[in-house]
Amino acid sequence: MKSFATAVRGTAVALCALLAAACAGNGEGLDANGRPLVPGGSPPPPLSADLQSIQENIFTPICSVCHAGGSAPEGLRLDAADSFNLLVGVPSTEVPSLLRVKPGDPDNSYIIQKLEGHAAVGAQMPFGCPNTQPCLTTSTIAFIRQWITNGAPPAAAAAAAVTAPLAVASIVPESTEPVSVPPPQVMVAFNHELDVSQLATHSMHFEKLAAGASPVVEQVAARIAVSSANLRALMIWPARPLAAGHYRLVVDATSSSRFSDIAGQTVALGTPDERGQAVISTFEVVP
Amino acid sequence: MNQRLFANRRLMLAALMLAIVALLRAAPAAAEPYLAVLEGYKCNVCHVNPTGGGLRNAFGLTYAKVLLPAETLDNALDSWDGKLTDRLRVGGDLRADWTRVTAPHTSSQQAFALEQFRVYADLTLIPDRLGIYVDEQIAPNGSQNEEAYVRYGNTTDGFYVKGGQFYLPFGWRLQDQTAFVRQVTGINMTTPDKGVEVGYEHAAWSAQFDVTNGAANANTGSGYQVTTQVVYTKPIWRVGIAGSSTQSSAGDRRMGGLFAGLKTGPVAWLAEGDIVHDDSLGRSLVAGLLEGDWRLHKGHNLKLTAEYSDPDRSVRNNQQTRYSFVYEYTPLPFLQLRAGYRHNFGIPQNNQQHQQLILAELHGYF
Repeated sequence: MKSFATAVRGTAVALCALLAAACAGNGEGLDANGRPLVPGGSPPPPLSADLQSIQENIFTPICSVCHAGGSAPEGLRLDAADSFNLLVGVPSTEVPSLLRVKPGDPDNSYIIQKLEGHAAVGAQMPFGCPNTQPCLTTSTIAFIRQWITNGAPPAAAAAAAVTAPLAVASIVPESTEPVSVPPPQVMVAFNHELDVSQLATHSMHFEKLAAGASPVVEQVAARIAVSSANLRALMIWPARPLAAGHYRLVVDATSSSRFSDIAGQTVALGTPDERGQAVISTFEVVP
Repeated sequence: MNQRLFANRRLMLAALMLAIVALLRAAPAAAEPYLAVLEGYKCNVCHVNPTGGGLRNAFGLTYAKVLLPAETLDNALDSWDGKLTDRLRVGGDLRADWTRVTAPHTSSQQAFALEQFRVYADLTLIPDRLGIYVDEQIAPNGSQNEEAYVRYGNTTDGFYVKGGQFYLPFGWRLQDQTAFVRQVTGINMTTPDKGVEVGYEHAAWSAQFDVTNGAANANTGSGYQVTTQVVYTKPIWRVGIAGSSTQSSAGDRRMGGLFAGLKTGPVAWLAEGDIVHDDSLGRSLVAGLLEGDWRLHKGHNLKLTAEYSDPDRSVRNNQQTRYSFVYEYTPLPFLQLRAGYRHNFGIPQNNQQHQQLILAELHGYF
């Protein structure tokens, strides 16, 4: 028993020495956010009142440390791919009567209240400030305020996409992608805001395939919707959870596969199969 | 004189009762889990919440009045006992502090702040079977409900069920919510979740199984988080394992953690290692903690902490470390003074990863 206690104490001392000796990274080959440098890439732009700059100087290095991925607090993900869609025009979860970002109105934008520390509920952000990390300075928050005052436009890259023809930006899950759990929905993101008044003309369904190919062994009805908070994302929900197997999402034969934006541009969704039906996504639900 | 003698006898009697209860309810964690390790207690020995933190029970409050402070008052047992009625127990924590944060090439920030004022209440509806528990943050930034749940069953020996909003059980429930292990996992005492918990307490064993919404599903309602933890506690050591899986349209997250505690004389050692994988981001994170608490004297504690974080295992040279030195002095029941220094180390090109913090804190509790 004594030798066991001695061994345990020895292990504790060794663990202590090991952790104390653990060194911080030397940063070689990384940018200021700790991400690998891209050959020929440029450093973050100086902070200014546009989303790209705010993203690269604030959201990515400071906020997305916690606000990212499957456990993002309050469901708010502030990585570059998601921040705009989850901030602008989206009700906050802590005070649903307030939008996280209300374009043109920084005082009534919840993000400002959280950063300035006078929100009705919850702690000031960044989490831990001022005790364990500095709060954002007034001058830094002023850039975010100015961005909101300017109407909270998307980042320059996203804005540039608006001038491009209507197109599909991404599909989740992507075609042929295996997913370990049934996806609650399929999301089709466009580069423009959709004309939701045309939504009723579209209908879709899921088809379960035998061993990864035809024939179709089962059909699952689907419901389609566009969130008012993000008119660029088309969500397709299966009527019931999808069991393990190979699936594809198909536009009904009686429905149009062309979607239009508010400017009247249209784009056809999916590729026709052997029956002429448009297939939007093919994926496998892995048991 | 007789009154003083009588008071001293009551204190001795209380100390004896504490020792007996401690022996009967051998061996983790509370908001100050090092105390649990030093004494060999389980969480539910001192806290109403079987997973620790928040409202202290009768034993926990007596411990705080008699054994924790440097000076034990003659009339300590006549002071606040936490009960408004036989069925209603209340408590609270207030922390006010002054901090100075410095980082290279940036101006320092210093401020007095009300870090936290929380009140707790537990209403016993049926003794040892049915109760309602509330943890409300009063300040700063207005009122916010942290925990509110109905509890059914025996939280000291047997099964129990909690339903409502509560903190998830995962690793050490540290007082420092910004510890790397608490930040990386996203599970700490500022991130309650809504759902149900089934728990089991028996002898040296504690176990919890939780099904909750998961933080990322706050808006979408598209998935769940499943969290489980098992702890085995002996008088001078304990070991625990925790796991969690979140399904979300934002991407799935899986986490695993190992934690342990060891008492070597007057020193309590706490260790935890966690690994987190975010499917949608394709990244794995690692965090580690090693804490030593040396009880120099009754009412005096020296806390040394070494922490490690790798925010993305697929990226080299990006690790961060953090070392803390905190002195805790509890002169009287219900009052604690803390002072400390912390130094962060990270990649050279990021000033914020090299912050230094000086902290002085006043902590009142009841």
